[in-house]
Amino acid sequence: MIDFLLEIGFEEFPPSFLAATALDLSAKIETLLKKEKIFYRTIRTIYTARRAGAIILGLARKQKPQVIETQGPPAKFAYDKEGKPTDTLAGFMKAHNFKPGDIKTVRTEKGEYVVGIKEATGESTEEILHREIPKIIESLEFPKTMVWNETMARFPRPIRSIIALLDRRPLRFKIAGIQADRYCIPNFHFSFNPIRLEKPREYLTFLRHGGVVADPNERRKIIINQIKELGSKLKGEPVYDDAMVEEINCTVEYPDVVSGTFDEQFLELPSEVLMTALKALGNLIWVKNSNKFICVFSAKRRAAENVGIGYAKVLKSRLYDAHFYYKIDLKQGIEDMLRQSREMVWLQGLGSIYNKSVRIAKMLEGFGLAGVDENVLRQAATYCKSDLLSHMVREKEFTSLQGIMGGYYARDAGKDERISLAIKEHYRPKFIGDALPSTKEGAALSIADKIDNVVGAFLSGQKPSGSYDPLGVRRNGYAVVNLIDANGFNFSINSAVAKLLDIYERDFDKTIINEFFAERLGRYLEDKGMRYDEINSALADSNGNAYDIRLRCEALKNYRGKPEFVQLVVGQKRVRNILKGVSDTEKVDPLLFEMDAEKKLYNRGQEVMEKLAPLFNKQEYAAILDALLSMRPDIDRFFDDVLVMCEDKKLKNNRLALVSYINRLFIKFADLSQIVIEADEKKRKK
Amino acid sequence: MRKNPTFENVIIDLKRFWQNKGCIIFEPYNSEVGAGTFNPATFLRILDRKPWNVCYVETSKRPRDGRYAENPNRVQQYFQFQVIMKPTPANIQQTYLESLEMLGFKLTEHEVRFVEDDWESPTLGAWGMGWEVWLDGLEITQFTYFQQAGGINLTQIPVELTYGIERIAMNLQGVSSIFDLKWNDELTWGDVYRENEIEFSKYNFEQADPKLLLSLFGEYEAEAQALYKHELVLPGYDYTIKCSHIFNMLEARGAISISERAKMIARVRALANQAAELYAQKHNIEPHQQPKDEKPEKTTEVNK
Repeated sequence: MIDFLLEIGFEEFPPSFLAATALDLSAKIETLLKKEKIFYRTIRTIYTARRAGAIILGLARKQKPQVIETQGPPAKFAYDKEGKPTDTLAGFMKAHNFKPGDIKTVRTEKGEYVVGIKEATGESTEEILHREIPKIIESLEFPKTMVWNETMARFPRPIRSIIALLDRRPLRFKIAGIQADRYCIPNFHFSFNPIRLEKPREYLTFLRHGGVVADPNERRKIIINQIKELGSKLKGEPVYDDAMVEEINCTVEYPDVVSGTFDEQFLELPSEVLMTALKALGNLIWVKNSNKFICVFSAKRRAAENVGIGYAKVLKSRLYDAHFYYKIDLKQGIEDMLRQSREMVWLQGLGSIYNKSVRIAKMLEGFGLAGVDENVLRQAATYCKSDLLSHMVREKEFTSLQGIMGGYYARDAGKDERISLAIKEHYRPKFIGDALPSTKEGAALSIADKIDNVVGAFLSGQKPSGSYDPLGVRRNGYAVVNLIDANGFNFSINSAVAKLLDIYERDFDKTIINEFFAERLGRYLEDKGMRYDEINSALADSNGNAYDIRLRCEALKNYRGKPEFVQLVVGQKRVRNILKGVSDTEKVDPLLFEMDAEKKLYNRGQEVMEKLAPLFNKQEYAAILDALLSMRPDIDRFFDDVLVMCEDKKLKNNRLALVSYINRLFIKFADLSQIVIEADEKKRKK
Repeated sequence: MRKNPTFENVIIDLKRFWQNKGCIIFEPYNSEVGAGTFNPATFLRILDRKPWNVCYVETSKRPRDGRYAENPNRVQQYFQFQVIMKPTPANIQQTYLESLEMLGFKLTEHEVRFVEDDWESPTLGAWGMGWEVWLDGLEITQFTYFQQAGGINLTQIPVELTYGIERIAMNLQGVSSIFDLKWNDELTWGDVYRENEIEFSKYNFEQADPKLLLSLFGEYEAEAQALYKHELVLPGYDYTIKCSHIFNMLEARGAISISERAKMIARVRALANQAAELYAQKHNIEPHQQPKDEKPEKTTEVNK
């Protein structure tokens, strides 16, 4: 058993994709070992801002020997009656270079056969790693890369060293002109001198002496403990979350903490402003309700005092600015910001920020969403963009506080608490998985704002295509369907889009936008665990009411397991086939019925239709499916007894009209013929 | 490290340090620039594949940042110490850290952090990847590996180090206002430049004549284009720099709208790109087209 250490040493890597890169690298090594059948005991991912790699312990020196069987002739041709080898067998052995000991007879389904067995000795692990590791490194993908030397190799930051140590021997390969070797670069606060490693097992300890905790999990634990300890020493509660800790984890090599303070007057600032200013300075964590902060740094313990004082100084000037902006914003007031928003362009050619807020308010009129106070909503919509004119939000460092500042400024102007909360939260969700607005008014405002963002993007020619989506339109679209569904709003995106286009007074093919939203809705339902055929089926007659479509999909999904479901779908497919090519049918004329089955089906259809109306109003789709299913026997009998495509044209048309009538009852719920049943699926795959 | 880190000594020490690393000691450019990057010793010299190692102090003029000498940290004119090394030595990061130690910052007593920051200048059609360097949280240097300049992809990658020397000296001296910074033993930065700050703030914000500036912009632009036609890269680039400064003046004066602003940036960039293309032609450099998605989307300050 041997060990292997791979470390790519680079200059400070972008923290946002460091962990992903390191995990990808070690996953690829693991895949290689499995594919090549090289045994290993453990693999451990390592990364810091200045290195990424893996330590593999208990590695086999060679591939597992492989047994290769080659099938030969049937046993009855390989041996004669006395059991002696025939020429056929000799030919087989010669062709494959088998010795007598390699030959065996095996019993198969088709009778007895001769096989030749060879044991291939595996390739050495060294050879394989030497060949494959450079390929793996070169196969890594990144959002953004650069060039730094003559080789024109691309990587997110310059690579400066590579360790590829297989037990006591470095593998000799080159990447970006850098020779793989056994030296690792320590934390520069500790030393510039590279550390020589004899074997992989020394790595973590030796680096530790060089000021590097290379194991990200260990480092994360240290960071959390240090924050907690210092927090309790300061008798306060540090405000942090997993994302912040991971960001810190990707920027420090040797975590240590120190506390600092800022002027108490800055506690007047909204906590979000404080947090943003602290966050902009990297690894600063606020101790709740106090003028203290904790700084996680990555140098020698001796540096702590300078670090604490240094960060406090920089923070002071930032908070000083923020405080200044906040005060003049309050003095100016949100009414004045609203007035000024007439001067600020939203999207080229689509009017001002003021126009946008007025448009949102107008668009929302009359939707009568459940649980929404229309008055609160109208006011929130009017003021929701005013803070874009505030000094705070216009400052690059605090732009992320849009909405939040508006909430504070609305409250300061004496607006209802519900209005300021809706304004505050209307940018949510900012990413998939982000919190949604906590009130119905906030959710409705967010929906309207985001639909307007999407429509605006299409109107200004910035619709998404491929990786191009400068305005984040896809994210906006997804958020819209998510919000509608999560709030149980019966809200038609299509009508909202139509209304917006009217307000814009722009002639634009709205089906393009409707289809965009339908695609987003499909994606959303998929993420909720619905199947593609359920989604297609429920989306067949959609007006973009995401909540309603989700309910339909769910009913379909729940029904799927029942035995009648297949019959229902098969029946629907049959109906669709008969109606193929039939454009419009006349009204059903009961006087033309000849058969009992026709009459029965029609009567049952009318009965069901009456039942369905109130169920649709209540969106009780399980009950609707039950009602539709109750028509089964009559449908079956109809098709058994009645020849639809008969000679008599009048009769034929009336029968088609009846089928179409029944079909419409189904379609109103969903297009069940889109459902793929297992038998079909198998056929399709073949 | 010196016992007496006056402002001028910081400059002298940095010059000597980089001189020892093989840089020629250059001088600031002779007309107004927003940053050392505009100096032809950077912008044009980084385009070709010949080795080029240079350091110089640059007078950085940013009219919008003036505060009538009333803000201890903001001035409309300050100094940068610029280093260009092409090709980039493999140990450049360590050499840079050694320069900090030389100045008096012991790495065992401070934290130096490289914070991701991909620099871009829309006016110069230039961008690179690198970091802001923070010393105990204070930004003291911009550290960039240039990737593109004047719209041309670089094949010999230069490193650009831009030290904020007032900040560094203030930190060494322990003063919190730029005006209190000791220039030498007798005079402070304020003694030398306070008057300058007050007068130029008044000029930049109040007295500059937008009409004159706009007309100068147009005339300088035309002159640059005419000179480029005669393949006079350096004089043409000289007028490009003047356009850039006038643009900064107009912006400080609040004389241009948002959409006008974008157009003027594009006009300056077109001139800078022309200079770069012409220079590339003269030096037989193949201009490459960059794949679209490699370009960072970030926008930064124009005059940086």
